[in-house]
Amino acid sequence: MTRFEYDDSDVVVVVGSGAGGGTVANELCQRGFKTVVLEAGPHLTGEDYHQDEWAAFGQMAWSDPRTTSGSWQVATDFPGLPAWIVKAVGGTTTHWAGACPRFKAHEFAARSTYGDLDGTSLLDWPITLSELEPYYDRAEIKMGVTHRHGRPPLPANNNYKVFANGAEKVGYKYYSTGPYATNAEPYDGRPATVQDGFNFQGDKHGSKWSTLVAELPKAERTGNLDLRPDSHVAQIEHDASGRATGVLYVDRNGTLRRQRAAVVCVAGNSIETPRLLLLSGSAQHPDGLANSSGQVGRNYMRHTTGTVWGQFDKPVRMWRGETMAGVIADESRLDTDRGFVGGYYMETISLGPAFLAKFIAPGRWGTPVTELLDQYRNTAGMWIIGEDMPRADNRVTLSGETVDQHGLPVANVHFDDHENDVAMRRHGQRQGAAVYQAVGARKTIETPPYPSTHNLGTCRMSQRPRDGVVDRYGRAHDVPNLFISDGSVMTTGAAANPTLTIVALATRQAEYIATELNKTLS
Amino acid sequence: MASSLVSARDRQTLVNVVYAAFPHSTFPRGPYERAADAVIDQAGKDPRFLAQLLQGLTDLDAQREVPFAELDADVAAAVLRGADGTPFLTAVVDSVVVTLYSDPEVWELLGYEGPSYEQGGYVDRGFDDLDWLPDPKIEHDEEMTA
Ligand SMILES: Cc1cc2nc3c(=O)[nH]c(=O)nc-3n(C[C@H](O)[C@H](O)[C@H](O)COP(=O)(O)OP(=O)(O)OC[C@H]3O[C@@H](n4cnc5c(N)ncnc54)[C@H](O)[C@@H]3O)c2cc1C
Repeated sequence: MTRFEYDDSDVVVVVGSGAGGGTVANELCQRGFKTVVLEAGPHLTGEDYHQDEWAAFGQMAWSDPRTTSGSWQVATDFPGLPAWIVKAVGGTTTHWAGACPRFKAHEFAARSTYGDLDGTSLLDWPITLSELEPYYDRAEIKMGVTHRHGRPPLPANNNYKVFANGAEKVGYKYYSTGPYATNAEPYDGRPATVQDGFNFQGDKHGSKWSTLVAELPKAERTGNLDLRPDSHVAQIEHDASGRATGVLYVDRNGTLRRQRAAVVCVAGNSIETPRLLLLSGSAQHPDGLANSSGQVGRNYMRHTTGTVWGQFDKPVRMWRGETMAGVIADESRLDTDRGFVGGYYMETISLGPAFLAKFIAPGRWGTPVTELLDQYRNTAGMWIIGEDMPRADNRVTLSGETVDQHGLPVANVHFDDHENDVAMRRHGQRQGAAVYQAVGARKTIETPPYPSTHNLGTCRMSQRPRDGVVDRYGRAHDVPNLFISDGSVMTTGAAANPTLTIVALATRQAEYIATELNKTLS
Repeated sequence: MASSLVSARDRQTLVNVVYAAFPHSTFPRGPYERAADAVIDQAGKDPRFLAQLLQGLTDLDAQREVPFAELDADVAAAVLRGADGTPFLTAVVDSVVVTLYSDPEVWELLGYEGPSYEQGGYVDRGFDDLDWLPDPKIEHDEEMTA
């Protein structure tokens, strides 16, 4: 176990150990850079996980207070829980499913493609798909994504059989078990899946890629990683010249520590990352660190989501096998004639009775709920996930009154659906129901959005410093040695699940940081 | 810890409230009792909730000629609907929806198999045993890029 000194100012400090943080840390360690990863949550491993939905959620989900506002339904249904994010080593890659589509070329140019839509803050990314393609390849190889680079597909499970047969009947072509970061056969020192059905609770078997089982152990082996769990970063410090000098964090004993740094990479996920910048205001940065544009926390995106359940005369047993190994990509096409811009995917999903009862109609009770649960065995499920519109006022701010256990103001998450989001969700739920009806569903049920599992955009990349927070490499426009390494940097959200893109961007960023650091250190 | 203020009769009423809120004709009384006990435990740690619980149960008993626990299922459901949205019922429902459906006996009744890792997952135990539809393709030939 490597330890670097608190006042070693040559280290790179990475805040957060999830998809972005764990990846950037490993890539830097491989290149010989001393790296300190500060992770707010504990270091848990597969043996610790519970195959019980609420126990698992209680063990690992970020449950420090947060507040909500806006007209989105999540603010009504889950006012203190705007997002499902994990607070543990590995971040939310411990609970993620593994669906790994790439973004499409036009999605990097959303403003040019969709036009100037009222009530949006659409902007083109400062990078193109072709620039990112080599890093997508590296990310897919790193993560062992099925269907890619010679990795075999996952087999059809029961939930997929219903989904795929329905897709075929309604005339969809692009359906498959999908690119998915879980091993169908042993790969990279990790075993093949045993199809145990627990993904959202952490994978005890280790066949699913996460930074916990893949990036961090590899980084550790270089001797360049100093991983400190139970370490909550409270502030980023800077000097008079405007360079970041390190961070202050609360360690597991509640002691405030200072870790000096040559470079700071922030990857706390798109709610905590802007919160940390806003908490790091100073005389030089009165509105929060790296916020001269006023864009920190704005343009928060969460994907347009919804769930459709189909209930049949015969058993499905959707809980058996990989949760999200099934995708229909036909509706992800560029086609602005459907009454909305942007595309969406349909992906298989399964919940156990405990989560289904809670999420199927939040706050409801009585026979409408129990009749659905009585048909649990015969239920198939799919999730709709599509591009939502960035809006300047959909935003993370510091909550006025609520503070966490360290006395730090918590994040408030404000969100109003754009009419485009509403039209897309309606279309998706209609198409989803049609898929199940095509194979004889007796009943279809639509479930409103869950607390956000995809959180994006709050420190977006922009060509011009006034339009966003970071440049094409995720470097803060205002602070030359401060990088944002998570999904906060996404200029727009695209239709695809975000993690593959987060990993590709972090891989590319690490290469850039290495080049820059070599210049200054030599 | 259960409060001594919750009488045996309060507990019986609460069990009936839990059943009226989540009525499954196939479930025995055990899971409902456990869910009610979890509510009582929670209230034992939260004086405000305990006060609401005691008052809420008293209020339900006063709705008809006979106590809530003696009402027919239909009438009980109607009485409970009258309390929808009250802090008392909201707190009870929030607790019960978690504990009732996390109860292994309920899982079995619904056909859900619960933890599977110790049994080796489902790779050899039916993850793909659905036989009332044909086996679909799992790959598509070209990529959809636009
Ligand atoms: C149930 C579920 C299913 C999902 N399925 C998919 C999927 O199939 N495909 C897909 O692409 N994506 C999926 N996701 C989303 C995916 O998990 C996230 O996109 C991804 O993990 C985000 O990476 P990140 O680096 O931004 O943040 P995270 O992975 O969330 O990591 C952030 C880390 O930073 C830590 N942190 C935050 N603030 C601080 C601080 N101040 N100090 C120290 N540490 C801090 C947190 O504790 C956390 O560990 C899913 C998510 C969930 C919840």
